[in-house]
Amino acid sequence: MKKFIVIAATLCLPAAVFGQSPTPAASPNEMEALRQQVQALSETVKTLQAQVKDQQAALAKMNAGPTSLPASESPAATSALSGSAPPLFPISDESVVATTAQPTPIPAAASGPAAAPVNESFPTTDASVTTSSETISTSGAGASLVAPMTVAGSRASGTYMNISFDGQFALAYSSDRNLDHLEVGDHDPLQRGFNARNLELALDGAVDPYFEGFANIVFKLNNDNETEIEVEEAFMQTTDLPWGLQLKGGQFFSAFGRINPTHPHTWDFADDPLVHGLFLGSDGLRGVGAQVSWTAPVSWYSQFIFGVENGRGNTGFSFRNPGENGIFYGRLTTDREARGLQDFVWVPRWENSFDLSSTQTVLFGVSGAFGSNETGANARTQIYGADLLYKWKSPRAEGGFPFVKWQTEAMYRRFEAGRGIDDAFPVAETFHDWGMYSQVVWGFRKGWTTGLRGDYVHMQDSAFTDDDLRQSRSRIAADVTWYPTEFSKLRLQYNHDFLEANDFLSERQADSIFLQFEFILGAHGAHKF
Amino acid sequence: MKLNSFTTLGLSFCLCLTTTLPAQARIKVVATLPDFGSLAREIGGDNVDVAVLAKPTEDPHFVDARPSFVVKLRDADILIDGGAELEIGWLPPLLQNARNPKIEVGQPGRVQASQGIRLMEVPAQLTRAAGDVHAMGNPHFMVDPIIAKAVAAHIANAFATVDPTHAAQYQTNEKKFESTINAKLQEWGAKLLPFRGQSLVAYHDSWPYFAHRFGFNISIFLEPKPGIPPSPSHLAEVIAQMKAQKIKAILVEPYQNRKIAEKVAQETGGRVVDFAQFPGALPGTDTYVELIDKLVDSLATALK
Repeated sequence: MKKFIVIAATLCLPAAVFGQSPTPAASPNEMEALRQQVQALSETVKTLQAQVKDQQAALAKMNAGPTSLPASESPAATSALSGSAPPLFPISDESVVATTAQPTPIPAAASGPAAAPVNESFPTTDASVTTSSETISTSGAGASLVAPMTVAGSRASGTYMNISFDGQFALAYSSDRNLDHLEVGDHDPLQRGFNARNLELALDGAVDPYFEGFANIVFKLNNDNETEIEVEEAFMQTTDLPWGLQLKGGQFFSAFGRINPTHPHTWDFADDPLVHGLFLGSDGLRGVGAQVSWTAPVSWYSQFIFGVENGRGNTGFSFRNPGENGIFYGRLTTDREARGLQDFVWVPRWENSFDLSSTQTVLFGVSGAFGSNETGANARTQIYGADLLYKWKSPRAEGGFPFVKWQTEAMYRRFEAGRGIDDAFPVAETFHDWGMYSQVVWGFRKGWTTGLRGDYVHMQDSAFTDDDLRQSRSRIAADVTWYPTEFSKLRLQYNHDFLEANDFLSERQADSIFLQFEFILGAHGAHKF
Repeated sequence: MKLNSFTTLGLSFCLCLTTTLPAQARIKVVATLPDFGSLAREIGGDNVDVAVLAKPTEDPHFVDARPSFVVKLRDADILIDGGAELEIGWLPPLLQNARNPKIEVGQPGRVQASQGIRLMEVPAQLTRAAGDVHAMGNPHFMVDPIIAKAVAAHIANAFATVDPTHAAQYQTNEKKFESTINAKLQEWGAKLLPFRGQSLVAYHDSWPYFAHRFGFNISIFLEPKPGIPPSPSHLAEVIAQMKAQKIKAILVEPYQNRKIAEKVAQETGGRVVDFAQFPGALPGTDTYVELIDKLVDSLATALK
């Protein structure tokens, strides 16, 4: 504003001069002197005007500069350094480098440290690095909670959830013709040749301030390349309960052991451990139900989880499962509605974890699953599990590598096999089955892992049941995996299976090789430990 | 006046009851990364207990979501995270499991350091074909001391809100930190002045803010794309560029493959400079200021 007044004043001056000039009869000499005066004055005005214009332009540039700067700053643009636009790096002009208003590129080369003006200071503020201070909200009030951080950086979506698609495939060969009887998991390779057993659409996000929602819809191609769809998980859980409590409801994997609650693409091998598939089912133990969990207020990580679910069908494999064609372990199943609470599956779990050192972590848990089964009116099943995870990770891990991870799970199952519908089966038996697996995975360099796994399942002999799911067996598996990034994977695995003879089945061995490949698209929620 | 003192008395009484903490208890601060932790200690002094999740020497993009972190987060009064997706691979499941309403986004107990910071290198187009890009912009902003001051102010505000009894102290500490940085900036600026405008090579694109502050040009990386390991063909290109531009230094962080950098340095006559984003990652860098001291010194030495 002041400048305009100055201009106005200078503009008025010559007018005043002109106004005065004609009064007395002026001599030619005086006239000449006056003309020169006027000329000089008008020149002063011109230069002043020019200066004002320059200053205004500079001001405009200063104002516009910082706001447009980082937004447009691509990685390449950073290299522009101190060159064209002075406000790009305000530090680079007058204050530090003692050059004039227009810094030439690389001024340092000219002016050594000696030339550094000691009294002039390095700038200690820089308006270009911060947005307005209003966006720093500590009160929680205000609209700046979610995305005030960037000017131009609208997050890809602005969507309310993570959406991802995970495609997992396997090329398989086995010396056994019936790979679908050798493998125990529904997402495992089930035939020689190509398999697409886990094409998964995963959604997750905050529902509102109180709940989070998750959904996993799995598409599978069966051995005849027909598409099967499975609502693997769809549940909501609370985020805001006090006292370390959390409630969960919907269709979800039961919190039993390590493998069961996880999705196949997080597994370290291309197939399901035997004990998991044969005790908890090829699809894992899951169902529509509810769960409450509580982290105990102690100094280490200690969590109690208690779930209940229908436990019906193949996803409640050892429970109210009518079996294939209405037959389970040789019995014609009852396939009945729940009569009471005893017919649901109850799943308690207690897990604990602590750090052995800054690089080593241990997590161990015990789980149970209790309910009734369909082989008799009052037949019941109890499964007990124990699991242990040890992980070491380098203090200088890059991309999470290198690491060593050892995971072991053991289960014991007590299965009361009744006499089937109408007591048609000749005997009632109680099976005491147990099994375990143990695996070591070594991430030996960034993106590379190799693993070794041993499996064993002991099924109690029975002279009455010829079900091939009741054959004792063991397996050794080894694999190498390459993760080009965390969104893709290539895995080569070798399995050797050994199936023991029993009253109905003879001893059998098989060798299998899988080449698994996988991709993930979109935003996939991070995984738990 | 009387009413006021009564209500405050009542309020503080309630507070004591609900938190079941003695009035003198220190507030529990969890910082996802060691740089935030260092600032929290500067500001909080003896009034806070600071726990840091990530180790200074490990890759901050890939930290294990250890269950012990859940316990720390469960008990936290304040959580300081970057808020710019650097921790996106491990913080969300921890928070899900911690169930601590005090540190939810939007609560006074949650400091998202990038709030109010103008992030650089916001991708115009999001595609993973470009490697491990950060949707919100480059999250390695703390190595700019001027930004660190802004974050310190943010932290001090949060501390004062959560623990009003010591508000004055937090403000004092923050002012002290600010003047330390202001004084140090003169020193750092002078030390690096002779090298202003030079180009440097870095293993990963962690240094645009440092480059911006001290007038370097860091746009050549050993990684062909962020998060993608160096390939021979890319390294050949880097070597050629280094020779052409007479680049003298390669910045490598503790968790990155130093051997590769050494090889490139050998080929080009350049030097490998141990750089780190986090206090504690290099010997003698327990605090933020010591870290920047170290970075400035080793860079100046290497470029001499």
